[in-house]
Order: sequence, then structure tokens, then C-alpha cells
Amino acid sequence: MNSNLRKRQRAFSTLILGALISASLVSVAADENVTPSAQEKKSVTKPVETAPPTQTRRPREKSFPKIASGKWTGPRLADGQPDVSGFWSNTIGNHGNLTDPQGGVIGEARRTPLGPREQRAPSRVSDPADGQFPFQPWALAKVKDFQVGFHNPTYPGHVEPNARCAPGGVPKSLYWHGYDILQYPGYVVFVFDNGSRIIHLDEKKPHLPEKLKLWNGDSRGHWEGNTLVVDVKNHNGKALFGRSGEFISENGTIQEKYIFANDGARYNYEGTFTDPTVYTRPFTITIPAIKYTKAEETDGWNLEARWAKHTGKTQILEHDERICHENNGGFGLGSAQK
Amino acid sequence: MNTLRLNTLQRYRPAKFKKVGSALLLLLAVFTFSLVAPSADAHDNKKIPRLANGKPDFSGIWQTTSAADYDLEPHSNRKDAPPGPGIVEGGEIPYLPKALVQRKKNFENRATDDPALKGYTLGVPRAVYYPEPFQIFQRARDLTVVPQFGHSVRTIHTNNTEHPEDPNDWWLGDSRAKWEGDTLVVDAKHFNDKTWLDRSGNFHSDALQVVERWKFLDPNTIEYKATLTDEQVFSKPWNISVILHRHREKNFQLIEDYRYTLDYDQYYPPKPDQK
Repeated sequence: MNSNLRKRQRAFSTLILGALISASLVSVAADENVTPSAQEKKSVTKPVETAPPTQTRRPREKSFPKIASGKWTGPRLADGQPDVSGFWSNTIGNHGNLTDPQGGVIGEARRTPLGPREQRAPSRVSDPADGQFPFQPWALAKVKDFQVGFHNPTYPGHVEPNARCAPGGVPKSLYWHGYDILQYPGYVVFVFDNGSRIIHLDEKKPHLPEKLKLWNGDSRGHWEGNTLVVDVKNHNGKALFGRSGEFISENGTIQEKYIFANDGARYNYEGTFTDPTVYTRPFTITIPAIKYTKAEETDGWNLEARWAKHTGKTQILEHDERICHENNGGFGLGSAQK
Repeated sequence: MNTLRLNTLQRYRPAKFKKVGSALLLLLAVFTFSLVAPSADAHDNKKIPRLANGKPDFSGIWQTTSAADYDLEPHSNRKDAPPGPGIVEGGEIPYLPKALVQRKKNFENRATDDPALKGYTLGVPRAVYYPEPFQIFQRARDLTVVPQFGHSVRTIHTNNTEHPEDPNDWWLGDSRAKWEGDTLVVDAKHFNDKTWLDRSGNFHSDALQVVERWKFLDPNTIEYKATLTDEQVFSKPWNISVILHRHREKNFQLIEDYRYTLDYDQYYPPKPDQK
């Protein structure tokens, strides 16, 4: 190829990359509907306000339907699993705030005051009924400390691990960027923007030795009708649950239910967390999710996909490689060099 | 004479009995042969795992036993590597003179500059012969390659789709494959220039193109061959070849290795006795 042409092409793709990164930064801020946090501000090295947003995002849900566990009447894969493969993402908000998912990051300045609580999506904590985490006093003190430190870090642990492209762990990976669910005989695989999670559908396969602690834990699961039931052990607790700083310790275990609607369009995650080191009782986190099927809905956050190039008649949705750490120079700006 | 008696006996044996007898003999011969040469089955292509569509099914956890990642080229032992004959066809990588200078610089600085030391995506083809297991998940439309090392997952498309019209420079490139009989032929390009080919500093530019050939030698062994082309760095295309073995240990599984988190993971989660 003509080397000038190649240079031009490269410059062009760099431009596109830059625009994409800038746009996704704008989207991050817009998503929380508040001013960027201190952690974001610090890392921004050039003005991004002028970058045009890519696509309009689906409006955030303020409430979501309950999905009952029961029979699966939708399509199945050859091995009998309900076919739920595809691109999925959360519907009510991201990892900014667990107990008030549309209330912005705790302790952050707001452009407009928050209205009454009932106008926003419910707490992700669905049990206990008050929507609060049943922390032991020492743990609550740590969370409060994090919520202050998040805006003005004085200790490395005040940095939200996702800002370093650490894996999102359980459950944060399900309300960060959109993700891919893949299914194979014996496996359900989640591919996230920074890491993946392999769920072994063989409960006779023992968990890894207790000593091994992993960001995404070690998962064994099985299908009960429309529900994927998963037992998570070996979780290292390091990912935290979000910018509001809640966490489990490395002693925590999680019993998960992914309850799929029979039309295949959405599922609700119900994860019961048990951790006597940090909490006074088990609690449940509920996360609604929807499936994305159209490239036109690519919005730099929930979906980053395109229609594949091919001569066939059917449209095929595909996703770029998912890279985070290597390109991370403070929330995606300034590709890391050496 | 014994021989004579045997012949006589045979002559008077009813035809039906004779048939059963030779069938038994044949069975015995097959059994004996299979005992002597248990690998005979291995060359039977019908025995390799296949998807419902009849294509070879590479699903499983794989790893090379070669020392390729230490240095693709022939090398004596050194403090940070075992000796190895290399996996480059013809011995050495045909670097352009300018690129050879860079390669030597990389080698001198390998203890700090190897991107893998930072937990970076290994790239293609390095992720194939890096000495940690990787798992292939396969459907008719694609292969998803999940390495134990690092966090990024490679997709090899097998659904007649083409390289995109507006490519980026990707860490893993863009992989489109076709079947040539039972061989998976992958065309991978649109790479960036940030990955190395091994820990000794062999490298490439963003003009790299890798054509891979994946083929079962037997149900538990894959022969992996690749041709690397990069006119910015190499004077001509060159070939590598490694063997990949299936992990058959009971309950063997990948264990995530997100090594890039090690510098800070001690600060999480909060603990009662910690600040």
C-alpha cells in the first residue's frame, strides 16, 4: 500500500479513536448527570466538552418488572440451555451509587437538586426492605471514609479500582459497561470490558482451593427453568461494589439467580451475599438488565458494537476487542506508554 | 505330521465354522495391533471432536510445552531463559537492518520493557505459545479464545464475515477465518505496534499480518502454524510452528491471572485493622 495513504489512514483512525474516547468520557459524566468527580477531573488532560456525543442512550428506567422464576418457553441451544447469548447491559444506572442508583455519586456537587426519592430507581439492595446494607459498625465506618476519600484521595484504597481498570468483580461487572453473554455445552461465559467470568455448569467440579482468591471469584452454576443459578466462592472482594464504596471481604460467598424473561429481552439478577466478616446478616442485590440487538444503539457505554461486513442477507452484530488497562491513562485519556 | 493333520482337519470343517473362525482371528489381530500401536487411532481424522456442523471442534484448554516465548529464535541458555532451538522455520527472523537494531535494543531492555511484565494483552501470535493455558470456546460462528494470562479475549470469526471497513489498530488485531478441509485458516491484521512476539524483544509494527493454520494432529493435540508478514520490520514473510496440548488433568480450569492489579490490590477491600 502507498505509504502516504497508510499514514493518512492511520492519522484518521487515531482521530476516530480520540473522538471515541472523548465521547465516552462525556457519556460517563452525562450518565451520572452530575459534575465529574474529583477522580475524573484530575485525570482529564484536555478539554472534552466540545466533543459531540455519539448516540442517544436509552432512557434510564425508574422501575423495572419483576420476573418470576419458572419455566423457560423461549428458544434453547442444542445442549438444552435457554438461549440467552448476546449483548447485555444494565437499565437503571451504573456504579456511581448502590443505594440510590440515580442519585449521583455520594458527596458530589450537583447542578440541580435531587427531587423526592421515589422519583428515582430503587436501591439495588432489595433485601433488607429498607434498601440499606446491613454493615457491621467497623465496615460502615470504612465505607464512609471511602465516600469522603473518593473525592480527595489520601490513601491508595480511596481510588475506585475500576478507575485503574481492575476487573469489576461480582456484582459490579453487571452495572458497569455492557457485556457479552456466551454459552457453550458446560459453560456460560461473561466477557466484560476488563476481564471475563467463566461459569462452570458442572456442580460436581469442585471449587478451587479456598486459598485462591480471584477478582471474579470461582463460579459453579446450573439452569432451573428460566433461571441460571450460580454459586460464587473464592471472591477476593477487592473490586468494591461501586463509587459508593460498599464491599464484601474475601470470606464472602454469593448465591446468584439470573432470571430471564421468556421473550429473551431482559433478565433480573438477584444475588444474595453472605459475609459474617463485614455484615450482620445476608443481603440481596437486584440488577435489571436488557439485551441489545441493534448496532444503531451503540452508545459508547451499554453497547459498543457494529454490524459485521459480509455479503449475506442477515445482519450480524459484533463487538470490538475489549481492552482497558493498556489504554488507561486516567479514565481512558492518553494511551499508556511504557 | 502335524501340518498334514491340520490341513486335513481344515478340509473337513464346515464352511460356517470357518467363517466364524476367521472373524475371531481378525478380531484378535485387530486387538493385538491396537495393543501394540495404541496411537494408530490418533491418525484417524474421524475421531477428532467436531461441532454439529461437522467442523473440527477446538473447544478445550490448551498449552504449548515449547520454550518459544523465551525466544522464537535459536538461543543458548541464559540467566532468564532455558536453551531452545526456536520455532522459526529456517532458524532466524528476517529483520530489515533498521529493525534489527531495535530488536537488539529490546533484547537488552527485556527485563523492564516486555509488555507482558505489565500484564498487557499478549497479542497474536504470542498468546498462543505463552507458557500459560488458554481456553477455546467454539460455536459455528466463532471461536472465543480466553487466555489465563491477562484480561482480553480474542474472537476468531468463522461466519464468512470480512475485516471491517473502518478498522482501528487493535491489540489483538481482527481475525477472520475460513475452513480448508479440517484446517482453520485465520487471517489476522489491523494490529497496533505495542505488543512483542516473545520476551526476548522480537517485535512487529502495526503493519503486521498473521495467517494462522490450526489443525488437529489427534484429538488432544493441535498443530499451530503461522506466517508473519510486516514490510516495516521484516524483509520477507516467515513461519513459525508449535504443538499445543490439551489439558486433561481432572477438573483442570483456568485461574484468572490479572497480573496488572498486583501493584495496588493490597489496598482492597478495607479490613478492620487497616487504616
